[in-house]
Amino acid sequence: MLLAYKAAFASPRIRASAIESTEFPALADSMDVWAVPRIVINGSPQWDGSVPERVFFDRVLAPASE
Amino acid sequence: MAIFRPEDEAQVRKVFDGLERPVELLVAHGPEETPLPGARDVDFAAETERVVAGLAELSEHVRYRVETEPTGFERYPAVAVLPEGRDAGVRYYGLPWGYELGSLIGGIVEAGRAESSLKAESLERLEALDRDLAIDVFVTPT
Repeated sequence: MLLAYKAAFASPRIRASAIESTEFPALADSMDVWAVPRIVINGSPQWDGSVPERVFFDRVLAPASE
Repeated sequence: MAIFRPEDEAQVRKVFDGLERPVELLVAHGPEETPLPGARDVDFAAETERVVAGLAELSEHVRYRVETEPTGFERYPAVAVLPEGRDAGVRYYGLPWGYELGSLIGGIVEAGRAESSLKAESLERLEALDRDLAIDVFVTPT
C-alpha cells in the first residue's frame, strides 16, 4: 500500500487509494478480491501481494511502455 | 477508548516527530451512515473520525478537518492525506484500523517528508510517466 501512496505523492499523474474490502464488499466482489493486497490499476485487477519497489514500478508502469 | 496501546502511541509519536512539513487529514463523510448488515451497527464514519482525531493528537504537524461529501471522493467514509494541504490523490476508503492503520500512518510520514523516500531510479521512471494512473489497493484490516 505504501508504495502506491509514495508514487502518488511523487507524481501528479498517479492517484492511490486503499479500499477496505470488508466495508465495500460489492466493489471488492466486482474485482474478484480473495487475497489481499489486490492491486487494481485504472479499474483492471493486476496482481495480489506485496512486491519490492523495483517490481512494483515494473508492473505499474508496464502498460505505459507498450 | 484509546486508539493505541501506550507503547504503540509512543512509537507513533516518535515517527511523527520526524515530520518535516505539515500534513492535513481530510475525513470525508457520506450523506448518510450505512452500517453493514451484521456489523453490529458499527458507525464506520464516526470511528474513522475518532481514529483520525487520535492521530492528529500525536503531533503538532498533523491536523484534520471533516467534510460531508467533499468533491474528489468515490465512497465513504474516507480519509485523504494532504501534504501541506495539497490534494495528491491519496485516499483511504473505509475505517483505518488493525494492520491498515499502519498504512495510513506510513502515508502521513511520507506526506510529511520534504523529499520522496522512493529510490532515484523509481522517481526517474515516474517522471517519464505520460498518462494518468489510478492505483486501487484492496486491503483488509487483518
